[in-house]
Amino acid sequence: MQRSDYLFYYVLTQLEDAVGRENVSTRQSDREIHSVDNFLLSRLWEDRGMPPALCDIIVRPGSTEEVSKVLQIANYYKLPVTPWGGGSGSQGGAIQVAGGVLVDTKRLNQILEFNEDSMYVTVGTGINVQQLEWYVNERGYSLMHYPSSMGCGTLGGFLSHNGIGVLSTKYGKIDDMCLNLQVVIPNGDVINSSPVPKYASGPNLAAMFLGSEGTLGIITKASMRIYKTPQCRRFRAFLFKNITDGLACGRDIMRYIKPSIMRLYDEAETASIIKDVLGFAAPGAFMNLAVEGIPEIVDIEEKIIKDCCAKYGAQDLGADYGEKWWKNRVTFFFPGHALDVPKVFGTLDTVATYSNIEKIYWARKKLFAENYPDVRYIAHFSHWYEWGVMVYDRFIIDNPPVDTAEAIRLHNKIWVENVRLALANGGTINHHHGVGIKLGHLMKEMFGPGMQVFQGLKEKLDPNYIMNPFKMGL
Amino acid sequence: MLSENAIKNRAACRRCWMCRHLCPIGLKTGRENTTPRAKGLMLDLVDKGREYSPSMAADMYECFLCGACASGCETGFDSRIFIREARTWAVAENMVPVAVTALLDSLKKYGNIFGVPTGKNTAAAYAADKADILFYAGPTATTKTPEMVTAAAKLLVKAGVPFIAWENEPVSGAELADIVGHVDETVESVKPLLEKIKALAIKKVVVLDPYQAKVMRHDYPEWGLELGAEVVTATAFLAELVLQGKLSPTPLKIKNATYHDTSRLARDLDETQPARDLLAAMGIDFKEMFLNLQRTRCPGDEITAAHSPAIVELTVGARWDDVERCGATTLIAACPTSFHLMDVYRPEGKVTANLYELMAEACGA
Repeated sequence: MQRSDYLFYYVLTQLEDAVGRENVSTRQSDREIHSVDNFLLSRLWEDRGMPPALCDIIVRPGSTEEVSKVLQIANYYKLPVTPWGGGSGSQGGAIQVAGGVLVDTKRLNQILEFNEDSMYVTVGTGINVQQLEWYVNERGYSLMHYPSSMGCGTLGGFLSHNGIGVLSTKYGKIDDMCLNLQVVIPNGDVINSSPVPKYASGPNLAAMFLGSEGTLGIITKASMRIYKTPQCRRFRAFLFKNITDGLACGRDIMRYIKPSIMRLYDEAETASIIKDVLGFAAPGAFMNLAVEGIPEIVDIEEKIIKDCCAKYGAQDLGADYGEKWWKNRVTFFFPGHALDVPKVFGTLDTVATYSNIEKIYWARKKLFAENYPDVRYIAHFSHWYEWGVMVYDRFIIDNPPVDTAEAIRLHNKIWVENVRLALANGGTINHHHGVGIKLGHLMKEMFGPGMQVFQGLKEKLDPNYIMNPFKMGL
Repeated sequence: MLSENAIKNRAACRRCWMCRHLCPIGLKTGRENTTPRAKGLMLDLVDKGREYSPSMAADMYECFLCGACASGCETGFDSRIFIREARTWAVAENMVPVAVTALLDSLKKYGNIFGVPTGKNTAAAYAADKADILFYAGPTATTKTPEMVTAAAKLLVKAGVPFIAWENEPVSGAELADIVGHVDETVESVKPLLEKIKALAIKKVVVLDPYQAKVMRHDYPEWGLELGAEVVTATAFLAELVLQGKLSPTPLKIKNATYHDTSRLARDLDETQPARDLLAAMGIDFKEMFLNLQRTRCPGDEITAAHSPAIVELTVGARWDDVERCGATTLIAACPTSFHLMDVYRPEGKVTANLYELMAEACGA
């Protein structure tokens, strides 16, 4: 959009009419601070003083009705719309690569219903998740959605990229926790999914939007499950000789019980991050677990875990390390501990069956050893299912190329090669960080003809292709 | 333009999102610019060649400096360091927003930010001719909440504590420091106070307003100033008098009350217990708010209330929501600013009370 254009002011004043002048901004500083999200390349871009990708106008609607008005205006003028929640996503999903209108959702933060009878809370999706967690904590409940970005992210952000928290092995991913959704689609219509998530009346409508990353519309309201605060949460740590034993043990545990936390660190991550943060240093693969709920049941679950770990020759490290990890679970992400530029790095998380997950891990390890000897590769396995597990593996380039184009080229090459290795070995593009701009071009490689389903939805719901352009391969 | 310490903190905050859930302004306005990340990022962009713009300068004033973000930082960074210096920078570049400039004009003319003459310190009427304890109220208390000042003074008299108090108090520099930062002008503004304290050989300053106590205790040493007297908050001083048996409050019948921890007391001065001891001594069975103690939510500061009242109306509303959430109808405050602002935007059916008037009533002072 040309800001000197006559039309620009028509659009601007219509948006001001929709949400109030105080909730529309064209200030340069506001546009610049929205130009960097948590995607490595957006941070690298800024760090190296490159010109940012700017939106033209920021709007901050405070209700579903206002979102509807904003999308109707943008759709009429065929303006790109990029939703922005907390801006803490790592895949570039919130970056305004095509300019246009940025919709900051944080004023959609109303708590609309707290229902103890059916154990859910209904809220606006711009709500900060830590604030929502505190609200339900006051009443003796928890969302049980504990990502490290809990303090930064909005509920809408987590729903839009289909995120996960550290307690997922017991409580599930965010799509398991969501009862229903309200979505505004680009023509301004408001869609409500079924009140409940389980039914035999066609495909799950809410599922069409969960993980759609703002490419089909803006999720404005959601009902989320709440859980009784557990009577007890007990931790235990073990040291395995290697990850093969640890993975087999985790698989066996999942056949009997569901720990809330089960995190197995490979030898490299045990020797680096676990040593730095928990102070534990020994060769092998460190695992920390938690079980929680009613003490009598937890007693049994603890026994099963100990028996399984003993079967695989794991050393019992007691409760202290697990408790320490819990207390420090977000410390890893604060300045001084978190990975940051000028390093170049990425979290390659993927998920696969127990039959396949090690194949992916070893293939990636081999790739780095043979082709990128100066690139560090570390991993842990932290979200477990009855059928498989996710690997949260990272590459770290301590001394990336000075030339920005070359740094980006190297970053993207490593990503593409690793995603293709995952796909070739039964994995997925990603497990819980989403796709965004970073991995969108690989969606067709994962889904093949199945991509037509997403494209069909896109073309029907967003024929002008205004919603979050170039994200998720749509 | 920034100090080494400010640059270090800016570098840490510019890409960190971990305190977003704590900013009282950001949570209500939804504006991205309120986060330490955004403010750090703006200054980082300037470091990389952008101009420090009037809108950036304005954003630096959209902060209560309440320290919520710093209290939540597990690695100890503090955005207030670079925000204050960015305000100094705005002054140097003549980019202070018009509404904030009006506060500076008021400070120059009246010694306060309110645009009217500072209220007389009513404690002076109860003061002794000579004592080594100074009771210092501060301009917010004398101008906006004189009833707190009078009640606190009566309590000191009741406890038999001789004190002096000045009808016209010299400024502490707190307001100027928050608007223009630690500059020569700020330090100069404090000197009349220091000279009077020295001339009268004051040994202890009992400070009613935690905002003023914080600057005296923490900032003066950083500015190279020596107060030459111990700084004690009024809450801590009164709690000690109760402990010593010099004040004996009788139970008050107050139902459905809660207590608001002010950020300056709870976070900057690490003081949460004395006010609770006083409430207990009065037999007030209050409900704790979920966001309490060091995690308290700041309802606003007088500076922001003066230049951006719409923001403070929102943030005070959020604090009243916290009161509602804990099922209370009466909010008790020990801080003049919190008491004043919570009262200005008090919803129907709610009551505000201050610790000093309650204590005066309970002690028959």
